[in-house]
Amino acid sequence: MRANRRVVIVPCSGIGKTFGTVSREAAYTVVEDLRPGTAELVALSLLVLGDEEARAAVAGHPTITIDGCRLACATKMVQESGFPVARSFTVLDAFRKHRDLKPEGISSLNPEGQKLAQVLAEEVAEAVDELINCYTSIGGSHADSA
Amino acid sequence: MPILPKKKVGIVACSGEEMPEGTVSRVAALKVLEELRPNDTVTICLPLFLAGGEGDRAFARFYPTVAIDGCEKRCAARATEMYSGKPAASIVVTDVVSRNSLGPIRGSRTLNEAGMQAADLVAQEVARLVDRLLGRTERAVKEAIVEEPAAEVPEDEEAAISFCSCGSGIPVQKVLVNGRVVTLIALPAIFEQFYQSGKRPGDGTTRELLEVTRIYNPIPPEEEAAYAEALAREYEKYCRKQAL
Repeated sequence: MRANRRVVIVPCSGIGKTFGTVSREAAYTVVEDLRPGTAELVALSLLVLGDEEARAAVAGHPTITIDGCRLACATKMVQESGFPVARSFTVLDAFRKHRDLKPEGISSLNPEGQKLAQVLAEEVAEAVDELINCYTSIGGSHADSA
Repeated sequence: MPILPKKKVGIVACSGEEMPEGTVSRVAALKVLEELRPNDTVTICLPLFLAGGEGDRAFARFYPTVAIDGCEKRCAARATEMYSGKPAASIVVTDVVSRNSLGPIRGSRTLNEAGMQAADLVAQEVARLVDRLLGRTERAVKEAIVEEPAAEVPEDEEAAISFCSCGSGIPVQKVLVNGRVVTLIALPAIFEQFYQSGKRPGDGTTRELLEVTRIYNPIPPEEEAAYAEALAREYEKYCRKQAL
């Protein structure tokens, strides 16, 4: 029997700052464009407030967090909810690596911000592949590859 | 009580990324914050709030909040109540959608037309609630929007140390307690008020300082003495500076 192997993405959900918007945009890019069917989104607030479906998703699959800033709310809250974080990313780190992509705007990102979200999403997508491959190599399988 | 900055309303949006209604809550909140009532509202960052962000939690203890939730799970309202106090008002996007017979909301990332319409309606409703909570008339709102510059979160490090990161303008101060740095909400305002009312450093003043500081900050009973020592030290410094 094949297991439905997926990776959960938890972005920070911050709405007041540009970096939160980049984290969300990167998460959407991964689950909708780069790895649809392999990566799924879980909202941080649902998880923290004990929603059973959200908890089951995180409990059953490796989790990647995407934080906007160094406060790392998503990573902290996933861990404090009792779940491991397989990989964590921050927009701030991505920006440090790509200083030319200075994000601006909260409701809508400037082109640099959109590009930064794309670059970050590509890094996250690679991590999704690694986690899926790792699972497959230890005996699991991925439903979408069936 | 110390005099704290101008009363504002905190907007807490669920922002649930996995459903279109969560996006409606986020878009509506930003519309209120950026366009409709920029001078009367601040955002309370839900993840930071959940993760123990003292500034955001303190804001919600001081000032009224409006929770905007995507669905009946009401994460934003529940979190606000759990960590600070019951929101002054609460709106659920799905209620607004059914009350206004809007079509199906689609697009978590980019809302369809019905979603944008829902965001507009929710934002207008929130703006009305903000006015009511602040006791504003329609005319006063227009004047405030024209006359007041938009509030900005200070960029430089020194200013960030002086005010909460929630953007509420509540002053905070970092002090050393038992060898660790603790951020105390409203302390600069408390010091200012004590000084202006003629209270000078001394045992009695320190006891009073401890009691007033406790209103805004959790002080564990076993650390009272360490907090008192820190407050006495900082207040003495503050008074010396004022006397210069």
